[in-house]
Amino acid sequence: MFKSQGDKEKIKEVETIIGPSIKVKGNFNGQGNIVVEGILEGSLKTNGDVFIGDKAKIAATIEAHEARIGGEVSGNIKIKKYVEIAASAKIFGDIECASMSVERGAILNGKCTMIPERKDEVKS
Amino acid sequence: MHIYIYDDYVNTKKYDNALARIETRITDLGLNGKIIRLGLLRNINEAVENEIKRGAKTIVAVGNDGTVNKIINAIISAGINNQMDVEVPLGIIPVGNEGNLIAETLGIGKEEEAGDVLSARRIEKLDIAQAGNSFFISQARIASQGTTLEIEKNYSIEIMEPGEINVINLSVFSDLPEEAQANPRDGILELYIKTKAGRKLTKLNPSSNQSLFSLKKLTIINKKYPIILDNAIEISTPAEISVNRSLNVIVGKERRF
Repeated sequence: MFKSQGDKEKIKEVETIIGPSIKVKGNFNGQGNIVVEGILEGSLKTNGDVFIGDKAKIAATIEAHEARIGGEVSGNIKIKKYVEIAASAKIFGDIECASMSVERGAILNGKCTMIPERKDEVKS
Repeated sequence: MHIYIYDDYVNTKKYDNALARIETRITDLGLNGKIIRLGLLRNINEAVENEIKRGAKTIVAVGNDGTVNKIINAIISAGINNQMDVEVPLGIIPVGNEGNLIAETLGIGKEEEAGDVLSARRIEKLDIAQAGNSFFISQARIASQGTTLEIEKNYSIEIMEPGEINVINLSVFSDLPEEAQANPRDGILELYIKTKAGRKLTKLNPSSNQSLFSLKKLTIINKKYPIILDNAIEISTPAEISVNRSLNVIVGKERRF
């Protein structure tokens, strides 16, 4: 999902969009790709990918297939495959993933655990 | 027998010519039936229920989106009252130049053209959504100011800027982004929130104050503003909205889903 960085690419086949003036509180469970540009408090879990915009503010645990993080996240992040942390990201929490990239300027305060990527895991 | 239900507003001189053309076309197509004219004294639910019990072949709403909504509510209520699935299809003959978005979306042309759609009898089973005690086929709309949305008791959504909330089953506005053009046969509602009145966007863009959620049930709470169903009727909140019923509807070839 995040191989190409164009804005259009990030919302391809998106199931849920939490826009900039939206605040979601509670446990959000999805199946598809999710874009967060607003505020999210609680937990976010999806079998798809998560794109967290540069101005998003998240106080939640996140579980997803892949992720691109550009905003502020307070909470633990568990990603099955690849996580991309952009320069604008501020993360306060632990990250678990199979592979990652961190852009210069990003803030990451937490423990980082790399787990081997399981080949039998199929993205649903 | 085909049952034609004329809304009270079409029983005025303004629509005499249109009704005459429609009736001629219906006769030419051999689709004659019984005409019921709605008025202040007629109970639409009772009339529709009686005709279904008598074995109506089609119930046809002759009027606008409001008429379609009234007939849908009457058909669904008849099914609930008699604990049965109503198989009788709904037909639509739009009359007038405004407020016929449902017919347009279903590919039904105006007046005489609608007769041809009835004659072709292309039937689709479409989802019908429920808001409180009322039913709707297209969408429920409410202002975002002061509105709280609770989604299946899992999470709530708060909208921090003025705008509009649409809960869509059948999208009647063609200017909505492609992703919000809901499919009325998937048992899912699209919740589309747009804040800040701006230019029309045909492509969904998260940074332009658009939000989208797919769900099966939600509760809308707003102490000040009502929810508008099918662009026609108002209901107060709190109201639970879900999609759990269906109805056979005669549609045209040019339908937008």
